[in-house]
Amino acid sequence: MELEPIYVLLADDDDSDRMFFTDAFEEIKIKTVVQTVKDGVELTNYLSVPELIIPHVLFLDLNMPLKGGMECLVEIRQNNRFKDMAIAIYSTSASEEDIEDTFVKGANVYIKKPSDFNQLKKLLTKVISMNWQYHTSWLNKEIFLLNL
Amino acid sequence: MKHQNLFSASFYLKVIFAASLLILVTISAITYRHTQSLTESIGWVMHAYKTNVQVEQLFSMLKDAETGQRGFIITNDTVLLEPYNNARQQVENAFIQLEKQMETKQQDDHLQNLHRLINARFAQMEVTLSVARDQPLRDDLLKSSMVAGKAIMDSIHLQVSKMAALETSYLQDRQAKYEYKASITPLFSLLLLLFALNVFIFSYWKISHDLNTLKHKNQLLILQSDSIAHAEERNNMALRERNHELEQKNKELASFNHVASHDLQEPLRIVQTYISRLTEKEIGLMSAKGKDYFVRIKLAVTRMRNLIDALLLFSRTNRTDSIFEIADLNLLLDNARHDLSHLLEQKKGSIIAAQLPTLNVIPFQIQQLFTNLIGNSIKYSKPEVPLLILINCEKPAPIDFPNTRYDHARNYYKIAVSDNGIGFEQMYAENIFTLFQRLHHDEEYEGTGIGLSICKKIAENHGGLITAEGKPGIGATFFIYLPA
Repeated sequence: MELEPIYVLLADDDDSDRMFFTDAFEEIKIKTVVQTVKDGVELTNYLSVPELIIPHVLFLDLNMPLKGGMECLVEIRQNNRFKDMAIAIYSTSASEEDIEDTFVKGANVYIKKPSDFNQLKKLLTKVISMNWQYHTSWLNKEIFLLNL
Repeated sequence: MKHQNLFSASFYLKVIFAASLLILVTISAITYRHTQSLTESIGWVMHAYKTNVQVEQLFSMLKDAETGQRGFIITNDTVLLEPYNNARQQVENAFIQLEKQMETKQQDDHLQNLHRLINARFAQMEVTLSVARDQPLRDDLLKSSMVAGKAIMDSIHLQVSKMAALETSYLQDRQAKYEYKASITPLFSLLLLLFALNVFIFSYWKISHDLNTLKHKNQLLILQSDSIAHAEERNNMALRERNHELEQKNKELASFNHVASHDLQEPLRIVQTYISRLTEKEIGLMSAKGKDYFVRIKLAVTRMRNLIDALLLFSRTNRTDSIFEIADLNLLLDNARHDLSHLLEQKKGSIIAAQLPTLNVIPFQIQQLFTNLIGNSIKYSKPEVPLLILINCEKPAPIDFPNTRYDHARNYYKIAVSDNGIGFEQMYAENIFTLFQRLHHDEEYEGTGIGLSICKKIAENHGGLITAEGKPGIGATFFIYLPA
């Protein structure tokens, strides 16, 4: 039986990061459909299409021009249409404030971008392998920051 | 000092006042004595004068009696005998008076002598009178009687002169004494007065001088308090400006933190990720030289990464909003040991720690402190010797360093972290805590030059300090002082 692919969306302004991201998913043995946008404005536009297949997981960079990840997070969490979409913060920094802030605003997991491609693959695998629907422990701040 | 001066001045004034009073009393007493002795000597003069006059009167009475007697003898008229008869009684009265006035034995003797002579004279006059009354008058008897009377009269005259001379001599004696006194006393009084005057003038000068000094000092004080108020105001202004600057600097630091944590790390992370991609996929295509360069690039980038991480950690220890909690330092040490367990195993290192206290600290910072110190010992351990780290803690005691801004009344725990590593020259004991100061090259010992700066910062954040002792080839010891 053919498994339904996991729909993954990334909003990141850095094209190297977008490339690592898509490359990583290509190498991961899980069937995924990866889509990328390069800032918050583009993300909002992408999500506003009515016939959109809502992604399972949105990877959201915080630091983006025009419209930052924090703003997008707030907007998305106010929209009931995306209540089942998991949001993974995908950022270079792992400052206490950012972690605290995004947790409060409804992100599901916080990933610090690794500096090693293999580690990136492992992290992404871990994120998409999670059973989002039944994963109640997201509300636990202690394990909000995802480590390998 | 000034207070003491003022105090002694008031004491001094009291002494002057007492001395002045004493001098005044002395002068009064002396003047009184002087006046008294003057009155006394006037009395003496009067006495001498009176005595002389009375004696003269006595003599003149006697003469009167003699004259009366002679008149009677010549005229045989009894009326002329009256002064003679009166004289007898008057002379007795005068004697009684005189006797009262006599003071010395000599005077008395003289008077008694005179009395005797006068009595003799009267007796002789009686004899003459009776001779004169006899009828017939015997001229020869009368003549001899009168001659005898004259002889007695001459003796009386001599006696009177003697008495006058005695009185004069007494008077002169007393006069001399008085004059001596009179000449000495005013001189003494004058000297005393002059002295008192001097004392008064000096006191006046001293008081006015003190008063002036006081005024001057008061003025100075007013000026000073004015200038202090001004300076305070200026200081406050400066302080506000400083505060503003500090806030500004803090903001800059925060944005620096952000730059360091995000903007600097991002390109580096991307470089590192590319390196990991290349290592995995493309390394086989490279020449040996290319591979070598690539390894060097990788090392340099890793070092840069470590530097940025350490710098970030350092700036995070600068933050003032860290929360103090009561924490068991043994647990914090255990955490640090656990973080470094992998490296410790590699070096075959062991840690022997004494019981540490439970203190009010910023827990993650103290743990960082232990991590950095143990990490330092691992980094600078001797390759051929198993690493041994000893951690000791001394009972709280006051800090005994001179010239430190630490509270000398307070007690501090002294925690010593010592190792058997390569150590260092004691002359570098201060340098090693300075940011980016390193004693070794990268090729020998890797390091960022930030770790011990962080330790210093952490100790200072806790109101303590950290010092180091090194012996090259033997080991290093770090002393952490934390307020009890």
